[in-house]
Amino acid sequence: MKYAVETISLTKVFSDWWGRRKVNAVDNLNLKIKTNEVFGLLGPNGSGKTTTIKMILGLLNPTKGHSIVLGGKSTDPKINTRIGFLPEESYLYQYLNARETLNFYAKLFKLPAKTRKDRIESLLDMVGLKAVANRPVGMFSKGMARRIGLAQALINDPDLLILDEPTTGLDPIGTRQIKDLIIQLAKRGKTIILCSHLLADVEDVCDRISILYGCKIQAMGKVGELLKHTDKKQIITSNLISEEALAKIRGIIEAEGQACEISSPMDKLESFFIRTVADAQKHLKFTSGAVSTTEIGSFLTADAGKEVLEKLVSETAAEDKPVETSKAESIKPVETDQALLSDLTQTSEPIKSKAVVKTETVEPTNVPDAVEEDILDELVGKKRPVETEITKKADVSGDGANE
Amino acid sequence: MSRIWAVAVNTIRQILRLKIATAFVVMLFVLLPVMGFGMTGDGTLKGRLQSFVSYGLSLTSLLLCLLTIIASIYTLTSDIKNKQIYTVITKPIKRYQLIAGKLFGVVLLGSVMLLIFSSLIYAIAVSMPRFLNSSEQEIAQTKDEFYTARASVSPMQQDVTKDVELEYDKLAKSGMLEEVFKKDSKQQIMEQLRKQKKLEKSSASVGSQVLWEFHNIKPAAGSEGIFIKFKYDVSVTPADNQIFGGWLIGDNRKPVKEIDTGVYDLSRKDSVGIAHEIKVPANAVAKDGYLAVAFFNVPLNNTVVMFSPIDGMEILYKADSFFANFVRVALLIEVKIIFLAVTGLLAASFLSMPVAILLCLVVFFTGSISMFIIDSFDYLNEGVAGFYKYVLKPLIQFMPQFDKIEPAAFIVPAKILSWGVFFKVVSIMIFIKSLVLLFIALLVFGSRELARIIV
Repeated sequence: MKYAVETISLTKVFSDWWGRRKVNAVDNLNLKIKTNEVFGLLGPNGSGKTTTIKMILGLLNPTKGHSIVLGGKSTDPKINTRIGFLPEESYLYQYLNARETLNFYAKLFKLPAKTRKDRIESLLDMVGLKAVANRPVGMFSKGMARRIGLAQALINDPDLLILDEPTTGLDPIGTRQIKDLIIQLAKRGKTIILCSHLLADVEDVCDRISILYGCKIQAMGKVGELLKHTDKKQIITSNLISEEALAKIRGIIEAEGQACEISSPMDKLESFFIRTVADAQKHLKFTSGAVSTTEIGSFLTADAGKEVLEKLVSETAAEDKPVETSKAESIKPVETDQALLSDLTQTSEPIKSKAVVKTETVEPTNVPDAVEEDILDELVGKKRPVETEITKKADVSGDGANE
Repeated sequence: MSRIWAVAVNTIRQILRLKIATAFVVMLFVLLPVMGFGMTGDGTLKGRLQSFVSYGLSLTSLLLCLLTIIASIYTLTSDIKNKQIYTVITKPIKRYQLIAGKLFGVVLLGSVMLLIFSSLIYAIAVSMPRFLNSSEQEIAQTKDEFYTARASVSPMQQDVTKDVELEYDKLAKSGMLEEVFKKDSKQQIMEQLRKQKKLEKSSASVGSQVLWEFHNIKPAAGSEGIFIKFKYDVSVTPADNQIFGGWLIGDNRKPVKEIDTGVYDLSRKDSVGIAHEIKVPANAVAKDGYLAVAFFNVPLNNTVVMFSPIDGMEILYKADSFFANFVRVALLIEVKIIFLAVTGLLAASFLSMPVAILLCLVVFFTGSISMFIIDSFDYLNEGVAGFYKYVLKPLIQFMPQFDKIEPAAFIVPAKILSWGVFFKVVSIMIFIKSLVLLFIALLVFGSRELARIIV
């Protein structure tokens, strides 16, 4: 089976009560989502993303065309046994607690009692709701409800996972966890459709994307290819490089008549936030909300017999490893957290050591800034003016030598 | 089945959170005991029991029916409105399984509640004589006339066709037809004459008698007696409203000396317009189930005594226990619950909650007065014969006829609801009407869009 999801001339026209055609929600959509692909469905509000997903899942009847999901109809129980779906909001039964919620959905899959129990505990652990598993989900915050919504979508270890705005309402750790989960599931051969307008989320994890606007596909292709700046090059090295060496490099480039800009790359705010929370967790700070253990349910990992996959956020913070959430072809990690932390905590006195220069060509992108903007907006609840990379670096380190 | 069960259990939890369900349950738990010891009826023990069981079962039936309507509609419309259905229906569950689960949950909850409250009513009813310190006589009366399940046999209908035809000819020849019946059709005149002749046959003028013959009387083994239930109607009401009557009860087909069963000759005085019962030993009934009852209108009465062909005369005899009859009567409420649950789900499959509830209430209340409605439409039949016959009548017939299966109609007169009648009701209400409605509900719900379009 080449395609996990295929839509053929999928069209949805919204009619009024009298049956008069009012609005085209989706127009002649032809999508081909390959098996084992992380596919991003992007578009502004009202572009038809959710309508497309609802038609694919059989919640809406297409006005014209049809869709093939995992080789059949999505309404066929044999097919939807292999589908996991997280709607745009976690529509849950408010009176059930987290464990009962998962148990209810697991029963719909006819999972054996032991498997059911194991998966529920594993998922509760994964989404960080084990401590509040007996609290009715009606008392959950939006983010917590989102987490349990995600858990219900994963209860059947689906081959096709459809996530509609999965990170809405989630804290950065939860957002990060979902992205890591998507990557892990993709490694296991799962197909994932990610419907979002948070571009950073999509960019970090998707193999291919499609941008919908005006009920039609405006662009579709691999993320790397779509974002590639073919007219620019980037050199990355460690910060131990001497000023003389930098001056030489600049001189060589300028000798060829090209413009050259030298600056220190920024860490992602997401990584910084995760480290801070992980430190707090180490010191057992109490919280009444979700506690992200950030472990992926063992049944969802590639080898169920092994220990849980690498700990995503907490381990990242604990070991100060660079964040590697993105696809190799889109973003490369540029600096270790250890190096940044040293910069932040030590004096500005230059460290005399042999510079290990690692030079490689990567595709620069503007999107990480967008990610940071979004997260910040969520954190402070307001919009900030966009800052350049250099400005931000100067604010953090106070070192203007590279400017 | 496990998916249906999972949905059913979830549905029950959903309903139990409804405040109206809690209110109804509390109301019944409070009201039933209060009614049990607060209602006096006509002051006798039998009257108290009849009032309590009648009102208790009716109240239970009403509240459980209303709860069933609300619950069945809420459980589906709420899932659609609050969009939980997105996460449920995208799991490997067919839409018919979802509906079946919802139906199962609603009916199961209704059944458990019915079991609890009917048990409470039964417990209060059987323990009431003990708490009220009733006399032996009252206890004996309730044993015969309340704590029992009696079958009733109506007298054989006499053929009055020839009498009617003769009377019609006579009136036609004398030219009195138009004067008496004005513009009525022949069919209508014949019908009126038939009723008139039947009443004549069951009337006794001063000094004359009326004879009724009954067949197929089969008292339960060990029955002590049978009951002749009658109600006097008179042309001129006596000053004291009392009628003297001579009664002869037994097998009249053989000479008296050859009769091997009991023959009972009684004289008694009873009031007009109220049903009375005469108890005679069960051996009055011949082995083949035959019994004759004769009433002699004593000249002292000085009025014509009539017995309505509808409820003027019948024989009652014990055919089953009170408990068995009570169980069957309670199961009639269960039949109503199932029918209304299906109706509610059908309404919820295409209507919003308030409109669906309104529709179901209309069905419920028209079903509770179905006889009146059928009679009313029969009257309209004259003007719109074709429309009535092919459109309106089938529709009305398809409506539930709850008034025919009112619990009080069986429990108050201690009338048996036989298994035969019960299964007939079940066949019509559940296996025909409910299944048709369920099929329509599945068709509608199976083809509708469950999501709203957001653009």
